[in-house]
Amino acid sequence: MSRQKLESLGLKLPLFPTTAVGSFPKPDYLTKARTEFNKKQISEKDLHDLEHKATAFWIEEQEKLGIDVLVDGEMYRGDMVAYFAERLPGFSVSGLVRSYGNRYYHKPIISGEAEWRSPLTVDWWKYAQSLTKKPVKGMLTGGYTILDWSFNEFYPDRRSAALALAKVVRKEVQALIAAGCKIIQIDEPALSVRPEELPIVLEAMELTTKGQNAYFITHACYGEFDKIYPGMLDLAVDNFDLEMSNSDLDLLELFRRHPFTKDISFGVVDVHSHQTDNPEVVRGRIEQALTILPKEGVWVDPDCGLKTRTVEQAIEKLCACVTAAKSFRDKYRQC
Amino acid sequence: MSATTGLYLSSTGSYPRIGDSPGLQALRRTIAALDRGERSHADLLDVQNEVTRHVIAGQVKAGLDVVTDGLIRWYDPISHLAGKLDNIEIKGLVRFFDTNTYFRQPVFAGAPIKRGNLVAGEYSFARNALGHLPTPQGKAGKLSIKPVLTGPYTLGKFSLSEQSGDRRCETFASLEARVQAYAEILASEIEPLAQAGAELIQIDEPAAIKYPNDWAIFEASLAPFVQARDNIRKSGCKLEVALYVYFHDCTPLYEKLLALPFDIVGLDFTYSPELVDLVVSAGSPKWLGLGLIDGRNTKLEDPAHLARQVERLLPKIKDQRAFLGPSSGLEYLPCDRAFAKLELLSKVRAELEGQKSR
Repeated sequence: MSRQKLESLGLKLPLFPTTAVGSFPKPDYLTKARTEFNKKQISEKDLHDLEHKATAFWIEEQEKLGIDVLVDGEMYRGDMVAYFAERLPGFSVSGLVRSYGNRYYHKPIISGEAEWRSPLTVDWWKYAQSLTKKPVKGMLTGGYTILDWSFNEFYPDRRSAALALAKVVRKEVQALIAAGCKIIQIDEPALSVRPEELPIVLEAMELTTKGQNAYFITHACYGEFDKIYPGMLDLAVDNFDLEMSNSDLDLLELFRRHPFTKDISFGVVDVHSHQTDNPEVVRGRIEQALTILPKEGVWVDPDCGLKTRTVEQAIEKLCACVTAAKSFRDKYRQC
Repeated sequence: MSATTGLYLSSTGSYPRIGDSPGLQALRRTIAALDRGERSHADLLDVQNEVTRHVIAGQVKAGLDVVTDGLIRWYDPISHLAGKLDNIEIKGLVRFFDTNTYFRQPVFAGAPIKRGNLVAGEYSFARNALGHLPTPQGKAGKLSIKPVLTGPYTLGKFSLSEQSGDRRCETFASLEARVQAYAEILASEIEPLAQAGAELIQIDEPAAIKYPNDWAIFEASLAPFVQARDNIRKSGCKLEVALYVYFHDCTPLYEKLLALPFDIVGLDFTYSPELVDLVVSAGSPKWLGLGLIDGRNTKLEDPAHLARQVERLLPKIKDQRAFLGPSSGLEYLPCDRAFAKLELLSKVRAELEGQKSR
């Protein structure tokens, strides 16, 4: 239970704190601007101005909805790994590679020693935090996932690459903490992809967070968690942000067999569905969570980043999270 | 007989569908336009045909002996085949092994029914396209094209059965039933492929080595293939069937893989540093596919190092006959690196021939 840790950091959060996983959809004007920037039709400053405008929009929306721990929405990022790879010495960018169907992306290549020279996300975090009194999460991608989603041409093996990248991420963690950030999310969606490599993920995260004074969350989704549970609980973070709805809460069965020992950001809405979430269904998911998990450790959020939804759908899904969380707060206040 | 007489340079299946220059992005643009309703399915077919021709020509240019159509028309290795069957619904995205790519998951809504050929038509087109290319010097009578099928176990493992309470679906609730249903259907594709001129058919079963506890189910699924192949042979046609496994360490299953009723077994050497030594020490009573070139990483291997590995392996393999290729399909690489990997195959052969002549 890490509520004490939060309090020691000066953060007093309500029961069932609400948050978002990270990304939000980019408003149309920003999508258009990014295309124009790539075609060199607008300047970098023009693009940045619009990224700031979109960030401010999402901070305001989260405030209006009553989210407790905010995110900047990643208006300045295209992809959660490429953003870092494009800015870190040691990386180059490959030609287009397919993700699925007709979707392609430029996959990073680790072509030299990865180095951290200056902050990558701190200015954005500072800007987002300046717009609200509520805590804003620092948002990073973990060393293991950066490795797994890149081509490795430099390091002799996956472990040495993951550990080198974990050290780079640690420098960014330190920079965020120095700037005043108290909750840092280090995403590791590749966590369960190669179960035999869980020890590498654990070692990498330990390198990144050990001795750092912040509340750490990691996000993972759409994986074979049954293959790495309960070993994954050794990950050096305070809170697992997990996709639960899309997989019909089947992780709860694992938690029944072996107690879940961290805080959890419990995904209560499916981000791949266009549908408005039925409030009773969302409440039912929290109800089921509470049959196994202590209420003090449960946060409420969507399954994953919302960037693939429309702005309206994303707001609806966040609203569903807040409404459900508030109803449980009321329920326990009356008890 | 030269040092490389029995060594064939071979594709392992897929190839990147697009490249980085605008001219190489026709397929992507056409699919996007089709989605917007601005182009027709006939337009898409034209572009798929053109890209397939281009990909075959690229493999020939790189010096390969055994090419494929690059699986350019495949949405993914699972739904391309399953989606052509009645009573199979194609649903949401699921991660495909550790590739960071995704496939659409088939769901059984009843007994699957095959209404037409699965890939025989595509194969005919590709074979014809290869035939229209000028034969490179020294390749007359040696160049061939093989069709690829994802195997029944991998298809079954990555499919689900609808949980509707309907008895037609309940039948396929078990993995065994799904695999067997796919096995019967895929085996029935062997004859049309042979009629279309295929003399070598590649069956991909990556899941078989990832989930060895299901080995009995996997093994049982092979009977219809063996029957179909043997029937073709009895009719006087030449046909070899190759099993390709990848995306996992196959070392623990090496002996079991070689005991299967396939003519060729294709192995991914990138997951098992010990596999070369194992093959050298145990030998192989089957012809082998040597997936020594990493189909998943952009880093280009040293051809001299690869040549040394092949030189050790080849004498230990039945008839000293092997198919050197990437460890998996090349669709996980950007186009320029995929081509460089294919070129590497010829460099390895040149190294080997150079070594022999020294």
